[in-house]
Amino acid sequence: MNVLVIIPCYNEAENICRVVERLKSVCPDVDYLVVNDCSTDHSAAILSKNGYNYLDLPLNLGIGGGVQSGYLYAVANNYDITVQIDGDGQHDPHYLHDVIRPIAEGKLDMCIGSRFIKKEGFQTSFMRRVGIRFLSGLIHLLTGEKILDVTSGYRACGREMTEWFAQHYAQDYPEPEAIVSAICNGYRVGEVPVVMEERQAGVSSIRAFKSIYYMIKVSLALVIHRLGATQKGK
Amino acid sequence: MSPLFQTLLLVGDIIFLLLIFVLVKRNRLSVRFSLPWLGLSVGLLILAIWPEVAKILRGILQVEVVSNMVFIILFCFVLLVLLILCAVVSDYNDRIKRLTQTNAILEHRVRQLEQQNMQNKTNK
Repeated sequence: MNVLVIIPCYNEAENICRVVERLKSVCPDVDYLVVNDCSTDHSAAILSKNGYNYLDLPLNLGIGGGVQSGYLYAVANNYDITVQIDGDGQHDPHYLHDVIRPIAEGKLDMCIGSRFIKKEGFQTSFMRRVGIRFLSGLIHLLTGEKILDVTSGYRACGREMTEWFAQHYAQDYPEPEAIVSAICNGYRVGEVPVVMEERQAGVSSIRAFKSIYYMIKVSLALVIHRLGATQKGK
Repeated sequence: MSPLFQTLLLVGDIIFLLLIFVLVKRNRLSVRFSLPWLGLSVGLLILAIWPEVAKILRGILQVEVVSNMVFIILFCFVLLVLLILCAVVSDYNDRIKRLTQTNAILEHRVRQLEQQNMQNKTNK
């Protein structure tokens, strides 16, 4: 099975080399694609200089639009499984095969690497955990599925799921929305435990002043998604 | 309505109509988006020529003052136009996203082909 790892990258000049080199040394059997989302630092130059496989978006689309470009690339190049990992080094490639396994065995269509199952490693700040728990509860209420780490960007998708996401993917803060739209359209979504690390350098895209907008926007999007879709069995 | 106000309304409305036509003619406004504005200016023209129409409408809608009714109708019109514009912007946002993604994938392909080309040349 050929696997593509999508690494969205926005102003990750300090991290991106480490992330790609670590992935290449731990999982030499998988292909990777860095999606440079029109970074304003010298990320593009680093990617080009090191001869990495990358897409260079001419406009900044946000994480959702960037990851979706990766899904489009995966569909165009006929990959069986796509895995998304963050460009900031939080996601350890040692868990890559754990995340892929349920997809390869045909048990799930989307598998999320969750830091809250075993509660090991970096658990993020208290306020974020409250937010994540709220969204997790909301998703449980809307779909009946219990997903703990709804904002985790460490996730693997099978071929059909990838084709679906290549056509339908939210543009900003897409992770929780992707879960609801996948479940509502009859795809099987589950989690496996992973250990995450704190971001190695740079700043996260979600800062304090944005968090209220984030919660309102995501909650509204989840409810609208659910209202607009009748849950299909598969 | 005083004759002066009626004349001002007529002149203003004709200028508004002309402005719409000029914008469409110069390709600054598409025919599609000019339609609601043309509709509005025709409506205002009718009111300017026959102010009785406003009074009849007021009677039907049972609004006390004519000006209040006109304001409410105009406000609803503007709200509707704004909502439609937001929908249009969302649609364009989606199209720009698609275009950007396709462009990036094509650029990647071009880069790959250029590299292959270079390798072939050095091998020869």
